[in-house]
Amino acid sequence: MAARRALVVLVAALLVLTGCAGHESRVKVALDALDRGEPEYAVQALNEELEVSTKDEVPPLEGDNALLLLDRATILQSIDDYEASQRDFQLADKGIELLDFSHSAADDVGRYLFSDDVGPYRAPAFEKLLINTFNMMNYLARRDLEGARVEARRLAVMQSFLKEQRETTSLLGLGSYLAGYTFEKSGRTSEALLSYEEALTYDDFPSLRDPLRVLTGGRSKSPRVDALVGGAGPLSTAADEGQAEVLVLVGYGRVPQKKPVRLPIGLALTAVSGIISPYDRAKANELAAKGLVTWVNFPRLAKARGSYSLPELTIDGRRHSLEHILDVEDEVRREWEEREPTIILSAITRTIARIVAGEAVAAGTNAAAGKKRNGGGVVGLLAGLATSAALTAADTPDTRSWTTLPSNFALSRLRLPPGRHTIVVRARGMTKTYQLTLEPGEFQVVVATALR
Amino acid sequence: MAARKFPCSRCLATISLCYATRMAKPLTTRRHFGTLAILGAAATACGPTYVRGSEEPGLDDPAMSTRLDKRDLQKALHEQLESFRDSRVFGGFQESAERPRVSIFPLANETSEHIDSALDALLSDVETWLVEADMFDVVSVERQRQMMAEIDKQQGGGFDPSKVAAVNAQLGTQFYFTGKVYNADERTEDARRVQYFMFMQLIEVATSTVKWQHKTEITKALLD
Repeated sequence: MAARRALVVLVAALLVLTGCAGHESRVKVALDALDRGEPEYAVQALNEELEVSTKDEVPPLEGDNALLLLDRATILQSIDDYEASQRDFQLADKGIELLDFSHSAADDVGRYLFSDDVGPYRAPAFEKLLINTFNMMNYLARRDLEGARVEARRLAVMQSFLKEQRETTSLLGLGSYLAGYTFEKSGRTSEALLSYEEALTYDDFPSLRDPLRVLTGGRSKSPRVDALVGGAGPLSTAADEGQAEVLVLVGYGRVPQKKPVRLPIGLALTAVSGIISPYDRAKANELAAKGLVTWVNFPRLAKARGSYSLPELTIDGRRHSLEHILDVEDEVRREWEEREPTIILSAITRTIARIVAGEAVAAGTNAAAGKKRNGGGVVGLLAGLATSAALTAADTPDTRSWTTLPSNFALSRLRLPPGRHTIVVRARGMTKTYQLTLEPGEFQVVVATALR
Repeated sequence: MAARKFPCSRCLATISLCYATRMAKPLTTRRHFGTLAILGAAATACGPTYVRGSEEPGLDDPAMSTRLDKRDLQKALHEQLESFRDSRVFGGFQESAERPRVSIFPLANETSEHIDSALDALLSDVETWLVEADMFDVVSVERQRQMMAEIDKQQGGGFDPSKVAAVNAQLGTQFYFTGKVYNADERTEDARRVQYFMFMQLIEVATSTVKWQHKTEITKALLD
């Protein structure tokens, strides 16, 4: 009788657990809104997930709030609310750093039994680098060079750390480019040249040719810089020419999201054939043969959200070319492909652990029931299955990631005469218009983002 | 940062696992109530609370980030002003019959942390101290900000320190306080350490001579 009651409790727990949802469901409403071109509604949806009423409220840095803040910051930037965006990025930066240093035995046990989703989020290298890069954009758009320099220095600290960890990423190029721009506009020539030199190790950046002619004064600097300048000689500054300078930076598209998938155990074993231990393979095969294990839950990176054509830039009615400078999606895929086998392996190991736990419960229940009366086998079997099923239901694949990252970046850097200018950017079916009034020698950064 | 909250479903799963593994023992109704009590406690135990510093002794003590906080600013202010009070130039001011006119310029933030508001607070403390010392004619920090904002606009973004002399000439000041904060920011797999070096100086406007300078060091870290 007691065992039966226990079984009822377990089944009830199972029913509750079946309702578990991963991170992808927490951001679904916001991402759908972005697809419809309704970023304000997306912010509202994230506010609800963060349990705050408005974008002006900040949530406590707990759970996955740092990750949701990253999404909110990106969307706020896309609607040109740079001040709120920079606050959210700052908070998220702190939160992601805290999560990096958080370890607990409970998290490890949770990961082993339930899901990688248990425990703190560990941001991949490219996300860490992009937090400071994105926030630098906010400060530059607001012409706050001191704030931008702080972000440039934070980026340098992270770059140095990742290099020591032997984690390289092509995303360093964009950050270094913007750091160079920040120092250049701050009048810090040597720091600007160092950052530009760093940027050139990742890409060619033709738009850097003229700024480097100004900064080097036409003198030989380094093989990379010299190759780009190509002996073109010095160039006067925009201020000396009585002109202003505009940097238009366009982020467009969205990186693919992680989605939960269920894979038959046989296919999963094939996917990790090179790295699974003989014991785990034997155990998985044994359990599969019993018909106990059939599916493994884990996350997968979704397909690309279509092909991306280069955005259009028009200034005062005249078309200007944009330079494609970064394929974030490519980096996301590269990083994911490196990690995917390990993630599938963890999922298989978890599945085995759950079944073993279920078997132990079944054996224990049978033993207990057997003391009171004979024929407790059915109760034991059901209890074991219920335990295994409850743990399986709790397995929500870890789909956490910075879901609102633009998949590509393009830029244009040009000199304009002082006065009023109308800048129009068209990307992914969206049109954004900016009215600028420029003074001689002034600079302005336009950050245009189309998150769909 | 508060400990990570497990989703309730995970709590339930953990408890049900423990529960299931104990099923070998005879179960009683009391145990069910025990389990439910734990579940209830888990569901209701957490939630943030606002508190007042005066009600919570030691509230200002823990470091909550690698930025500068009240304790750090107090330390910096104490060290800087102590050094200034002991300086020869301060002795000269005490002996002089005239009250020197001084202004206070922002400390340049050359660090990897957004500590601007903390540095502004520090400058306001310095301003307060100078006013209370009743030996100087102190130009309002707010007035200087307005002037610098105008220059900032003229410069096309970013205050140019070389224009400080022009601002001082307009303000009619004889001396001005200024300074810079640098840091050494390093990160490893299980720690991040930020060492701050705060330099404050008093400069004579007419000659650009540094009449007094002092360095304060503060270290903050995030450890695993």
